[in-house]
Parts: sequence; structure tokens; C-alpha cells
Amino acid sequence: MNAVIDFARFYVCEASELANNHIRQIKPPGHDPVALYRVDDAFYATDDTCSHGQALLSEGEVDEDFVVECPWHGGTFDIRTGEALSFPCVLPVRSYPVQVEDGKVYINLRAGRAKE
Amino acid sequence: MPTVHLHNTDIRFEQGETHDTLLRAGLSQGIGLPYECNSGGCGSCKFELLDGEIEELWPDAPALTPRDIKKGRKLACQCRALGDITIRMPNDAQFVPLYRPRRQHATLVARRDVTADIIEFRFHTDAPAHFLPGQYAMLTLNGARAPRAYSMSNLGNDDGIWDFWIRRKPGGEVSEALFASLHPGDSLLLDGPYGLAHLQPASPRDVLCIAGGSGISPVLSIARGLLSDPTLAQRRLHFFFGARTPADICGLAELQSLPGFSERAGFHVAVSEPGASDSWHGATGFIHELVSHTLGDRLATLECYLAGPPPMVQATTRMLLLDHQVPQQQVHFDRFF
Ligand SMILES: Cc1cc2nc3c(=O)[nH]c(=O)nc-3n(C[C@H](O)[C@H](O)[C@H](O)COP(=O)(O)OP(=O)(O)OC[C@H]3O[C@@H](n4cnc5c(N)ncnc54)[C@H](O)[C@@H]3O)c2cc1C
Ligand code: FES
Ligand code: FES
Repeated sequence: MNAVIDFARFYVCEASELANNHIRQIKPPGHDPVALYRVDDAFYATDDTCSHGQALLSEGEVDEDFVVECPWHGGTFDIRTGEALSFPCVLPVRSYPVQVEDGKVYINLRAGRAKE
Repeated sequence: MPTVHLHNTDIRFEQGETHDTLLRAGLSQGIGLPYECNSGGCGSCKFELLDGEIEELWPDAPALTPRDIKKGRKLACQCRALGDITIRMPNDAQFVPLYRPRRQHATLVARRDVTADIIEFRFHTDAPAHFLPGQYAMLTLNGARAPRAYSMSNLGNDDGIWDFWIRRKPGGEVSEALFASLHPGDSLLLDGPYGLAHLQPASPRDVLCIAGGSGISPVLSIARGLLSDPTLAQRRLHFFFGARTPADICGLAELQSLPGFSERAGFHVAVSEPGASDSWHGATGFIHELVSHTLGDRLATLECYLAGPPPMVQATTRMLLLDHQVPQQQVHFDRFF
């Protein structure tokens, strides 16, 4: 049986697998890597590749203030919108809607948006 | 001699007598540690100390945010190892220096007034002056507490000649001292070359140089590198200079003397404080506005080099990336913290 990937409802993991202020990298087939964050018991997702260089945001750090900090030059993004908050990051990264159903985390990879 | 070990790698390097910081020790041995300013301003060189003891040379460096302090992060350009240490710090091939920096004595051979507050200082070292157009060196004056970064305005050469265009910052510790007391025959310590915002000869694109104030020094070097390299003879040059007042405009004579300047290059100036007199008939305002207005849609086709005060570099980068969709990889900058 061919597993058809539902990019609009892409299953990532059980909600219990990710603790607060942690980030997980997701590599959907044929799609840029995505970072899934958990902050204050809510889930957020953005592109994983920093808009400044080639660093991965999932290797950076996220705090209670919903700010992820790139491990490379310390640029920051709002994980809720993907907006770049501090230099050298200028361009936004895309953010994706996340849904939790029955304790399972799904990302809508079809609905990535970059905040201008 | 303390050894620095990068956690989770087999990279180790030594911090010797001539290395004043961890960052400069690593770079001098060809380790690709991330950095930009070498001056405690940009935050690119952050690390975490996992084991051993360090000395912080400038604990209040502006690049450290409250978040960094909370997490115990330090700046490799402002710390020394006191014994063997293990640190967590990224490393990458893109930061490996083409010319390994080293610290040596340099003697001032000449100084020349460029404007009322910029002097060209020409130094000589016994070893060849190997650096890429757009790079900088750390200069330590006798008795100064810390070095300062200054960009070379000339091109690398075998004669050991290093030219710097230095602006006097009123009340500044090092620039005031350089202006007041450094005369031909005097020497200081020169450590370099450093810097990643150098000319990219492999780029097939025409070149845009944007300087704000003393940012003229490295972009002059880039312009010189471009116009004097026969393999780059097809590339055009758009040179923009943002001056505060008309009296601060400089660099045009040096550019005009370069081969092919009149056929291949254009020089544009914007003045932010034209003053009350009607003597200034050129563009007024910030330099990024003039660049945007003059080149518009062509910007995305150019390789862009920027240098100057952080607000000028940030405003210009935003204009290039956000307003004109210039790809990030085509924008190279040094912020003068
Ligand atoms: C990459 C780069 C290239 C530069 N190129 C040029 C150039 O070509 N021409 C030019 O005129 N200027 C250049 N500058 C600016 C120059 O380095 C100095 O900031 C400037 O000359 C003012 O220095 P000052 O000592 O007179 O002023 P100060 O106000 O005394 O010092 C200014 C700077 O010195 C550093 N500093 C201050 N205190 C300490 C401390 N305790 N420990 C360590 N560092 C400290 C900080 O970076 C600070 O911003 C460059 C800066 C950078 C980062
Ligand atoms: S790569 Fe992310 S801040 Fe530079
Ligand atoms: S390189 Fe250390 S703060 Fe910029």
C-alpha cells in the first residue's frame, strides 16, 4: 500500500514527546526542514533554516517569550509568526499552523506563511 | 600554554603568548570559529564554557544580551583561557581564514590628512601584508587597554604596507590617541587580517559598494581590488558614499586614479546634513535612500559590499533584502562598532 502523505495534516509526534522550551526538527519528504516548538504548552512551527545563513533554528534555543535564537549569529525570530526580530536576521521565515488532536501533533505544511 | 577544546569535536588549539583572545588564537591556527567584528559588538562569537577557567576582558561588552548573561554565554573575542578549557562553540569552513591572522610589530611610515577628521595612516611590517580587499586588522597602541579594529584601504602586497583611513571619534580612547600621538617612526601591534566581508572575485555580478563615514576604508580597498584585477575587467562598479556634511566627502580622487574608473564606475554621494548654505547641490538624506532611488530593480543583480556605523548598515541591509529582494548571499557587510 502506498502511504500518501497528507501535507495539510502532517503527523509529527505525540504532544507528550516534546517538553516546554524545546524544539524538534522535522524533515518532511520533499519539503524544507521545519522546526516544531513547544512553549507554554502550545505548539508552533516555522521553517528550520535561518533566513540569514544556513544554520538550523532547531539547534538554537527558544524561551518563554516565544523567541527562538539562531545558534549561529544570534539573530532572533518570533516563533508565532516567523517574523525576524533582530539583526542580522532581516527576512522572516515561514510559520505553519499546528494542531493537536487526541494528543497528536499535526502541522499544516500547505499553509506556510511569511509575515512581511 | 592553555589548550582550548571544542566540545563534541576533535578540534583543539593552543592559546599562546601572542594571542590576546580565544577567538584570535583559534583563527590564527586556521580554526573556523564564527565572528564578525572582533570588538564585542556583534555577538557572532558566543560560546559556553563547559570546563576550566577563563578571564573576561570586557564583561560589559554590548553584544551580550540579558538572555546571554542569564545563560552564561561569553564572547570569544573578549575572553582568554586561564588554563585548559572546553567550550561549546560552532565552527564552520566558511570562517576558516584564507590568510591566517598573526600579531606583529608595525611601524608608522606616513600620515596624511584626508578630511578634517580622517587621517590615512600607513604602516610597515617586515612580513608581507597579505590580506583580501575589505579585510581589517586589530591595532593595539602602547598602553591601550584593548585593541581596535581598523580596515585596510589599500590592497595586499609583498612590501608590508598597510594603509588605514581612520576617523577621529571625539572622546574616543584609541582614535584620539592615534591622532594626537602616533607619528612616523612610532610602532604598535598589528594583528590581522580578519573579516569576512571581502571582495568575492568568483562572483559573476557587477559590484555595489556602499560606505557610511569611515566605512570608506574597506570599500575603497574593494573598489581597488575590483578595478585593478584584470580577471574582473568586465565588472562594473557602483560606488555610494554617505557623508554627514559636504566637507566629509572623500575617496573620489583615489577612485578616479584607478584604471578604467571613468568607463566602468560611478560615484554617488548623499549628504545627511547639508547645512544652511546653498553650497551643496547634490543629494541629501541617507545613503540607503539614494541607493534605492538610483538603482531600484537592478539591485538584486549586484554583489553588495557595505561598511559603516551599525545603524547605516542595518538600514541599508533591510532596504536591499526587504525592499529589493537582493539574495542574502550577495550582501557582505562590516559594522563599525
Ligand atoms: C570590523 C571593524 C572595522 C572598522 N574599521 C574602521 C576603519 O577603517 N576606520 C575607522 O575610523 N574606524 C573603524 N572601525 C571603528 C574602530 O574600531 C573604533 O570603534 C573607533 O575608532 C572608535 O574607537 P575609540 O577608541 O576612539 O573610541 P571608544 O569609544 O573609546 O571605543 C569604541 C570601541 O572600542 C571597543 N571597546 C571599548 N571599550 C572596550 C574594552 N574595554 N575592551 C575591548 N574593546 C572595547 C568597542 O568596540 C567600542 O565600540 C572599525 C570597527 C570594526 C568593528
Ligand atoms: S545564520 Fe542565523 S543568525 Fe546568521
Ligand atoms: S566577533 Fe565577538 S562580538 Fe563580534
